[in-house]
Amino acid sequence: MSSVGLSEERIDTAVGKVQVWRAGTGPPVVYLHSAMGEGPGLAFLEELAGTNDVVAPVFPGFGESEGIGEIDDMEDAVFHVLDLLDQLGLDAVPFVGLSLGGWMAAEVATRYPERVRRLVLVNPAGLYLPDAPVTDIFGKPPAELAAIMFVDQSHPVAQMMHALAERYDDPASMSEIPLELLLPMVKSMSATAKLAWDPYLHNPKLARRLRRISSPTLIVHGSGDELIARAHAEAYAAAIPEARIVDVEGAGHMLTLEKPAELARLVREFLA
Amino acid sequence: MRIFSFHLMPYPALPSDYDGPAWVTCPNSLFDAQVGHEVYNRYLDELIYAEELGLDGVCINEHHQNAYGLMPSPNLMASILARQTKRVKIAVVGNALPLYDPPTRVAEEFAMIDCISGGRLIAGFVVGGGPEYYSFSINPAHARERFAEAHDLIMRAWTEPGPFEFIGKHFRIRYVNTWPRPMQQPHPEVWIPGVGSLETMEFVARHHYAYMGIPYFHISVFERTFKLFREACEREGYEADPMQAGWLVPIFVADTDEEARRQYEDHFFYFVKRLLPGINIQPPGYTSVRSLESIMKGAGTFALNLDSWDQVVEGQYAIVGSPDTVTELLTENLGRLGTGNLLGLFQLGTLPLDLTRRNLELFAREVMPRLRKEFPEGNMAAKPALGVA
Repeated sequence: MSSVGLSEERIDTAVGKVQVWRAGTGPPVVYLHSAMGEGPGLAFLEELAGTNDVVAPVFPGFGESEGIGEIDDMEDAVFHVLDLLDQLGLDAVPFVGLSLGGWMAAEVATRYPERVRRLVLVNPAGLYLPDAPVTDIFGKPPAELAAIMFVDQSHPVAQMMHALAERYDDPASMSEIPLELLLPMVKSMSATAKLAWDPYLHNPKLARRLRRISSPTLIVHGSGDELIARAHAEAYAAAIPEARIVDVEGAGHMLTLEKPAELARLVREFLA
Repeated sequence: MRIFSFHLMPYPALPSDYDGPAWVTCPNSLFDAQVGHEVYNRYLDELIYAEELGLDGVCINEHHQNAYGLMPSPNLMASILARQTKRVKIAVVGNALPLYDPPTRVAEEFAMIDCISGGRLIAGFVVGGGPEYYSFSINPAHARERFAEAHDLIMRAWTEPGPFEFIGKHFRIRYVNTWPRPMQQPHPEVWIPGVGSLETMEFVARHHYAYMGIPYFHISVFERTFKLFREACEREGYEADPMQAGWLVPIFVADTDEEARRQYEDHFFYFVKRLLPGINIQPPGYTSVRSLESIMKGAGTFALNLDSWDQVVEGQYAIVGSPDTVTELLTENLGRLGTGNLLGLFQLGTLPLDLTRRNLELFAREVMPRLRKEFPEGNMAAKPALGVA
């Protein structure tokens, strides 16, 4: 299966102009990114574009997308996603979402099940389980974050976080971190805070709404995910009428980065 | 000029084998209530002593869940000081507005303190430190919005006849009708501290309030900060009054320079190495992208990075020495920074009672009169040259 490079589009929405990464032809599939704002150059999307029209919007506040000032919480986020679907002429479409993006996709699917044809939740946030709380991502130095998010610490993104961490460890050199290196991270975390600071990475009302999701749902859990425990995948699977779990060995939280080919295959099979 | 004694009310007894942060996660099992009992009373005495020695005011502040400063409620301390002092200004610098819901609580308590003290309150409003957003789970991405909205509500509560309705994004009160109202009319003097965020400076300039530069940075950072503040005032169409600026700095006076260093250094480094760690945590969304660059420029000189006494002296992180040395350094800096308010930290870290009292005495007797002569009330002799630093 060949992979296709992503190209950028800018779409006008009610909150402002947002970036959308796009590639491939075939049935459309929407990818909602995590708190890290991954998208450009993501091998998983390029793989998937071999068979599908991949639509990967950059959420307001991330990358160069405008409009985070108009968005205060997940409720606003859902309306933004709906707005985007309308702008892109997508009526009912499959969603793939990682972590924060998985949570967002589930929120859309509980409210507007008719707009979600299939649902793939990859290490989704969104629930609170007293016995398996989600690890705190806010205020952690980059090296610790990398250790939590990746099984493979030699992954280029993990490596970049470790390189940044060396500066963090020496406060005197913090001011020497190039702003263009820091800025994307700062923007991503700020936008994430808007949606997920309190309640922390969940919506207390989501669990009892999951029964409204009518699409077949695949929940993908990275067996090495140290941010969100498997119990969350199990809770999603138990509450969504037509759902099953697939475990991916050797992958951590950032599963779309660590196992792009395997995930693309799983998604393709599920959508077929 | 006006001279204030600022007290952080630090916890001086962190065990020597604890090397974690002093903020947010510093285990409260380390707090010894007997120590708390002693230092609260001692620190209040030290502030009251500043009045006896002729200083113009006392300052206290608000921090939560930390060993750096034991004042989650500065208003409790201010109400004690309102009764136990007779003359000095009482500057609460400040109340962290986004943490009060509804913020009319601040309007009420400040008005109480102003009435009890006979109109001596200086009302400080702060956004709250980064750690506070972890300790309260208040969304840091809403910090500035909540601050601005709470500020508007409080000022309206003080200056507009009630009852009226306030419907904001974060705070909604159908009947705003604050009893009591402040004694000072139209409202107490307002101070706002900052670490260099442009939004804060612009806010202070727009409202003609006073900007207090937070310490623990190299002196060059202050020069830049106050220059930016004066520029913000110019953009509002007026020239900043020196009384609109305050410089907060640790001060220690002893008989000679050598003795001052010998008596002070360890206590200062307890503060730097034990109480500062964790204060600099920056929650996401707390700082705007445009302010980030400005703040980052100063970050490298943050006191947490200090390792040697030479660095302390070079960057003037504390003004330490004989009365002559301290007078000389303060005079030079006050002139250069253009600040009409000097906020001295006369107790810091583990500095004990006897040294703190002696410090205050020497300062009041030997240094203060010379500063007052150099900078007569309402007339800052040395206006800063434009374009300094």
